[in-house]
Amino acid sequence: MRLITHNMLQCHVKGCNTNNFPLELSEIEYELQETEFNPQFLRNFVPKLEWDALVRTAMKLGITTLPDKLPDTPIQEIDEKFLKDLHRVLLETHIQQGRMTCPNCQHVYPIKDGIPNMLLNENEV
Amino acid sequence: MSIPKSILNSDDDVNLTDEKKEKQFVHDVYEAIAPHFSKTRYKPWPVVEAFLKQLPSGSIGADVGCGNGKYLSSNLIAICGSKGFEVMICDALNLPYRPDSFDFVISIAVIHHFSSIERRNMAIMELFRIAKPDAQILIYVWALEQSSSSRRQFDQDHQDVFVPWAMPVQMNKPDDNIDDNPNEKKKDIVYNRYYHLFRKNELDDLIIGTGLADIVKSGYDKDNWYVIAKKKRITH
Repeated sequence: MRLITHNMLQCHVKGCNTNNFPLELSEIEYELQETEFNPQFLRNFVPKLEWDALVRTAMKLGITTLPDKLPDTPIQEIDEKFLKDLHRVLLETHIQQGRMTCPNCQHVYPIKDGIPNMLLNENEV
Repeated sequence: MSIPKSILNSDDDVNLTDEKKEKQFVHDVYEAIAPHFSKTRYKPWPVVEAFLKQLPSGSIGADVGCGNGKYLSSNLIAICGSKGFEVMICDALNLPYRPDSFDFVISIAVIHHFSSIERRNMAIMELFRIAKPDAQILIYVWALEQSSSSRRQFDQDHQDVFVPWAMPVQMNKPDDNIDDNPNEKKKDIVYNRYYHLFRKNELDDLIIGTGLADIVKSGYDKDNWYVIAKKKRITH
C-alpha cells in the first residue's frame, strides 16, 4: 500500500464518524519502489490531499522531506524539487507490513505483504 | 429480504442470512476458483476500455470488486497485487475510503452477487459516496436477457439463480487417489455461484432511486447491462 492510498482511507466501523482519519501507522516495514514521475498528475492531486495527515504519517516513518505547510504558490508554479519529494513519499513509498489504528475507536487494520485488510467484524458493520 | 425459495436447495438454507448466503455462494466460491478464474479473464471489455481511456490523465479511481485487475476476495485481491495495482481487501457495502475521494469508480460484475434489493442498493450508494461530485461511475451487472450467442440462457421467470463454474481437476490440490485408478475419468469440479440477474432497466431504476447520480449512458454489452452515471453535486 502506497501512502497516496493511506491518505484516502478512513475508519469505517459503524458509528465511528469523527476523528476517524488518518489511521495511525505502527510496526511498519516499508520499501521504496521507483515509478515514473508525472508532475502534472501530482499538480492535479495536491488539492485533494489532506496535507497535515500526510506530513504526520511520513514523519512516523522517519521521512522528513515534506514541508509542514503546503507552498502558497499556485499549483502550476510549484517547483519540481517539491514535486519530486512528494512523488517519492506518495507514490514510491510502499508499506509492506504493519498496522493501522483508528485514532477514535482504536480498531486495528493489519497490512500484510503490502495489502491492507479493511474487513470488519460482524458486530462492527 | 431473503432469496426467493425457488432457488434454495433445502429448508436449512431458508434460515441463512443474506451475508451467510453470500459467503457460502459467492466469497467461498471465488476463493476456490480464483487461480482458474484469473486465467480466463484477460480480455478487457470494449465499453470498459473506452470508459477508462476517456478519463483525463492522472485520474484516480476505485475498482470495487476488482477481480483479477483486468482493468485497473482476498485471494483475488492478491492476484491484483501481483499485477501492480493498488489493492486492498474490503467489503463493498462498507468501503474504507473518505467520501468524495475518486475521479471515477468502476464496479464490474459485482452488484449482481448481492442477494437482496436492499444490499444491491447499499452497494451502489457506497460507490456514489466515495466518488467526487461530477465523477463518473461505471457499473456492469449480468443480464437476465442473454444474447443468442451466449452459452448461458436463463429462465426468464427466475432472477435469483445459481450458476455453475466448472474447474478442471488439475487446478485443485493434487489428490493422490486420482492416479491410483487410471480407469476413472478426471472430472471437473463444479462450484455454484449465486447471482441476481438484472432485467432491462432494473439497474437504471436502482441508480435513479438513490437520488445521488444522473445517468449519462446505459446499454447492453457482452450479455451485461451497464450504466455510466454521474454523481450529483449536493450541498450537505
